[in-house]
Amino acid sequence: MFFLKKCPANNRVDSSPTSSTNQVALFDLCQHLVVLAILGVSLSASAEENLFGYVRGAETLPKGSVEAYQWITQRADKGQGVYRALDFTTELEYGVTDRFQLSGELTAMSLETAGLLIDGYLPADKKFDFRPKSIEIGFKYNFLSPAKDDIGLSAITSLEYGRLDPHSGQKKTEYEVESSLQLQKYLMEGQLVWVNNLGLRAAYEKRYVIDNLPTDFDWPTDPEMEISVKLGSGLSYRFAPGWFLGGEVLRESEYETEVGLERWSLFAGPTLHWADQHWWSTLTYFKQLQGGGERYAGQSDTDLHLIEKTQYEVRFKLGYDF
Amino acid sequence: MKITDWNIFFVPVAALVAPAYATDYLSVSQAQTALFPAATAFVDQSLTLDEDKRDRIKAMSGLRQRWKEQKIWRAESKGQLQGWFAVDDVIGKHEFITYAVAIANDGHVLGIEILSYREAHGEQIRQAQWRQHFVGKTVQNPFKLDEDVPNISGATLSCRNVLDGVKRLLVIHQLFLANG
Repeated sequence: MFFLKKCPANNRVDSSPTSSTNQVALFDLCQHLVVLAILGVSLSASAEENLFGYVRGAETLPKGSVEAYQWITQRADKGQGVYRALDFTTELEYGVTDRFQLSGELTAMSLETAGLLIDGYLPADKKFDFRPKSIEIGFKYNFLSPAKDDIGLSAITSLEYGRLDPHSGQKKTEYEVESSLQLQKYLMEGQLVWVNNLGLRAAYEKRYVIDNLPTDFDWPTDPEMEISVKLGSGLSYRFAPGWFLGGEVLRESEYETEVGLERWSLFAGPTLHWADQHWWSTLTYFKQLQGGGERYAGQSDTDLHLIEKTQYEVRFKLGYDF
Repeated sequence: MKITDWNIFFVPVAALVAPAYATDYLSVSQAQTALFPAATAFVDQSLTLDEDKRDRIKAMSGLRQRWKEQKIWRAESKGQLQGWFAVDDVIGKHEFITYAVAIANDGHVLGIEILSYREAHGEQIRQAQWRQHFVGKTVQNPFKLDEDVPNISGATLSCRNVLDGVKRLLVIHQLFLANG
């Protein structure tokens, strides 16, 4: 459990540089998306799955099939100072049987944070371009097919090993197990897709000593356990062949043994999905609508959780179905 | 971060894939010839389906009639009715699937052909072995996937929608065409 202490005033910045930095961040992201779009178009070709950026459907790959994903998530804006993180994930999925699939995932991240110290969480300004963050394996089993049964149902279990704290970019060892259920319903012959997720995540985390911490800065290095519950829902409508427009919402609540519910957040936003015969891509803008639990000292928007989350996220996925 | 720094992350995907293109397999006239090889003429008898007719189709089939016009031809040989030839579109995973059904005048399926299929999985839907399962079906059949017609893994939605589409066309035949 981390106790929040007042952030030194000289570490705070006003909103104008934040705003201009966020504009630069958005510009950068737009550049990235243009590159991805060019990549997709130049290779021409075709499409598949992942209608949403965050919630997941119930279907599995058929036996022997392989799907490759690249996704980028930008997490930005904590309300003060500069905060921008980019997560780069490469994922491969393989259909072992028609109902059971395996996946492997590598994630790297870049981070820029400045002008904001959060006691116990953000100990220093930091900027780096590209560092490996985590590795994950996943298992998905489909119990009911959304196209054949009244409703689709599947379960995913994943194991992750992490070596970087995704919030501060500091070194951290993390072992995580997550289990989730996916419900999926096809409506209007499949033109409208409704997905619901329920997930439970448990993590063991160990941080390391940092030199030159600010005076009285709290940076516990004892191992800790965290449990979080995720509830997600998404609705997507096919408005033209290969094009889906929808929205998704995700509530995440995190619990710790000493304090019970430590923090929670509610994100929602629109999702645009395009698919061809083999290629597909999904773009989601996810804005934090509400959050609670811990807040950092001097946090101006007290309706949000901005210690481990940001005001918004943008996620772009590019996939290829072999 | 510079764009070039992380674009290397996309190299594995880009390197592994070969371009793929959507394909139309048969034209309408080719499908007509395949399903009615003895026919000498195909007379356009497409139906305009107003709301009342579409409601009747849904009431009888349990399925929504998406299109207001249903493309149907009367297959004839020397002036004699051979059967009915219908072309329809149903939703696939991402694209419409265009298929054709040949219906005998007594209301059983003579055969189906897939004119256009653009999904990543389920190429077997075009194979004669899978299409053969439709032959002889009438509106009396349950039209259940894996009972009447086998499912194709990775293309379950496509299989279900083609199966439902054939049932709906049989209902249209029974309601509006059965008397010749």
